[in-house]
Amino acid sequence: MPGSIRPVSVVWVVLVCLLFCSRLLSVGAAPICTNAQAGCHALSLANLFDRVIQHSARMHGISNDLHSEFEQYFLPSKNQIGRVSRNCHTSTIFTPNGKENAQRMARQELTEVILKLLVAWRDPLWHFHQSIAHHHDFNNFSANKALEMSDMVHELRKGVEKVAEKMQMMGIISNSVSSLASPEALLPSDSAEWRLMKDYDLLYCFRRDSNKVQNYLKILKCRIVPEHGC
Amino acid sequence: MSLPFLRTHCGTVGARMWRDLGLAVLVLLSAAVESNSTSPPGKPVLLSCRSPEKETFTCWWEPGSDGGLPTTYRLYYERERLEGVHECPDYWSAGSNSCFFNKTHTLIWVDYYLTVVASNALGNATSDIFKMDVMEIMKPNVPENVTLLVVETEDSPYLHIRWEHPRNTDTESGWVTIKYELRIKQEKNNKWKEYMSGTQSHFSLYSIAPGGVYTVQVRCKLDHGSWSEWTNSTNVKVPNYVQNERSFWILVATLSAIPFMAAMCILIVKRENVKQCVLPPVPGPKIRGVDFHLLMSGQSEDSTNALIINQNFPLIVGWKDQMEEYLIVTENDIGPPSDASHCQKRKKSLIIPAGFCSDWEIQCKSTHIQNDCAGGTKNETGNFPKNNKSLSGESLSYMEPSKLQKQQCLGQNFVNTEATDPSPLNYDNAVKPFTNSGYVDIRKHVENTQEVNVKQVDYSRVEDVNGDNVFILNNKNLAFNSSGYMDFQRQEEKLSEDYSRVKEVGSNNVVVLQIQDMSADTKNPHATGAHKMGVCTELINSEYIDTIPAPPLM
Repeated sequence: MPGSIRPVSVVWVVLVCLLFCSRLLSVGAAPICTNAQAGCHALSLANLFDRVIQHSARMHGISNDLHSEFEQYFLPSKNQIGRVSRNCHTSTIFTPNGKENAQRMARQELTEVILKLLVAWRDPLWHFHQSIAHHHDFNNFSANKALEMSDMVHELRKGVEKVAEKMQMMGIISNSVSSLASPEALLPSDSAEWRLMKDYDLLYCFRRDSNKVQNYLKILKCRIVPEHGC
Repeated sequence: MSLPFLRTHCGTVGARMWRDLGLAVLVLLSAAVESNSTSPPGKPVLLSCRSPEKETFTCWWEPGSDGGLPTTYRLYYERERLEGVHECPDYWSAGSNSCFFNKTHTLIWVDYYLTVVASNALGNATSDIFKMDVMEIMKPNVPENVTLLVVETEDSPYLHIRWEHPRNTDTESGWVTIKYELRIKQEKNNKWKEYMSGTQSHFSLYSIAPGGVYTVQVRCKLDHGSWSEWTNSTNVKVPNYVQNERSFWILVATLSAIPFMAAMCILIVKRENVKQCVLPPVPGPKIRGVDFHLLMSGQSEDSTNALIINQNFPLIVGWKDQMEEYLIVTENDIGPPSDASHCQKRKKSLIIPAGFCSDWEIQCKSTHIQNDCAGGTKNETGNFPKNNKSLSGESLSYMEPSKLQKQQCLGQNFVNTEATDPSPLNYDNAVKPFTNSGYVDIRKHVENTQEVNVKQVDYSRVEDVNGDNVFILNNKNLAFNSSGYMDFQRQEEKLSEDYSRVKEVGSNNVVVLQIQDMSADTKNPHATGAHKMGVCTELINSEYIDTIPAPPLM
């Protein structure tokens, strides 16, 4: 009796495993795609917006924390205020500085501004992280934050690009956004300006720019898909 | 002697003079100062700036001393990406010593450099530069219209708290994201409990205590700015819901009390039974051979009798039906029982009826008397003691005391000769051990007899006891006196079976039976006759030798 049970139970176990595995594989990780291809799990625009907004909020939070840490250790920079207006390398990019200005701006322009900002900060943040990592004054915690920040800029840019694609697909913005095709063209020619900036100034500028990105995304969302959480 | 005195006197006079001079100088100076009250103003200090909705902001400063002259304060600012120095556009909307920047003058994400200049007729005083970015100075107004509502559901009530966004904040365009926080306190303890509400302008608090008073405060913040002030406290009292529950529990308690009371009453009424059940009576100690009741009755002779009687002579009162009895028949190497005269020695033979166990253990054993007290001779006959396999005296204790008292007889079936030896123990001396003993199973034929005491039995007097032999001499019926002996009825009707008397016991385990007229004397009772002792034994048993149709054993 036991002898006949064993092979039966083995076969049964194998069958069950096959069943589960096939189910897992079939459900699996369906790739998220903005266009409704077959086999993709398409996200709604509101959902996409929520994701990028959360992402940008986290990015700004990290930059805020790093800036506070810097202020504790590098107060002298604050003493030199004078009337020296800090020149961020992104100051050439025209960004609306008020609510009305931002609301008056076209969606496409706003999207472009966001993308420009994100593109402009990819390299400087990488170098910022490098300089912090090699600096003796900073602990590993700060260096990790800087690395995370630079990664987030990269991912946020991809996310915003997806949002723009979806909007183009839905006809919300026009397709004549050549900047989306080659973001590098957005960068000003003199893009090496940031190398002259000190670390603290870089951080200061990035803190401001990440706040801008977050705000612009929120404005876009509440203008395009206002039904959820505005 | 007077010289030092004069010197000190002079010293004090000089000190006083100098003191007066100093005082005079001071007075002159103060007068001069007072007359000269004008001075340049003191340096003002910029305290803080605040933007409640990320569209406008206000800055406050604290003026220094004004130098006694009317002093004006001016705020100048420089801004990133703006050329020139500009003055505060609005000094009055936000109160004194403040500067209000409206929407047109407010830019986010740009640095402002502010200074306040105090000036009067004599001069100016400039404060330190105050750098700020509107992004950093956000602090909203308090939330408004905090309302508390106790929502009553079937299971449990909960507290629903609502409020509105602070004044002037635009939450619809997505320009600002407001996050709320509230804290709740119960009236009893002073500890606040804080909850984050996120971006929702309502909150539900579950598991509130009925009858409690709750106090709620709410505050909010914009994006990553500072928290606002707490709102004023709002109170609410949760009504008591205990009545519904209480009536329910009262009903439950009443219903459960009724069977409880009933059970208690029953227990009290039947407390004897309960006591017997719970605490069974413990059997008292008994002394072997002593009848406690007799002792208790108090009469001395009775007690003596009790002690003596019960030692050795348990009473057998009656027959037991279908009781197996053994007639101890031994080899008679002495001679036929008729020659009993030769038999000097006398041995008590214990022909113990079934169901009877005597105390004569030693003797019994020594005489190879085996008493098979077979059959539970309980109280069918009512008088036989309980059986024991061994000849122990416990049977005595099972004797009913009434029977004992009635008959006062030894229940032991032992054979006495005419010798009136009172003491049963003396029999030992005269007893010859049985040489060889066998048993004859004597079946009673008293099935029809229900009465124990009234049996028709014939007794034969034992002529002699020789050693282990019992000699039944004759079959004449004994005349029984009516001194308490049992009547023996003849039971002729039972004599359908053939019963023979033992005529003699021959050697080699031979029993000589005497065939005789069954009409009478068929029974060969072997019972003790009357004793001449003070105690008498009454044996009610009669043994019968069952004669098989075959010729009797010869």
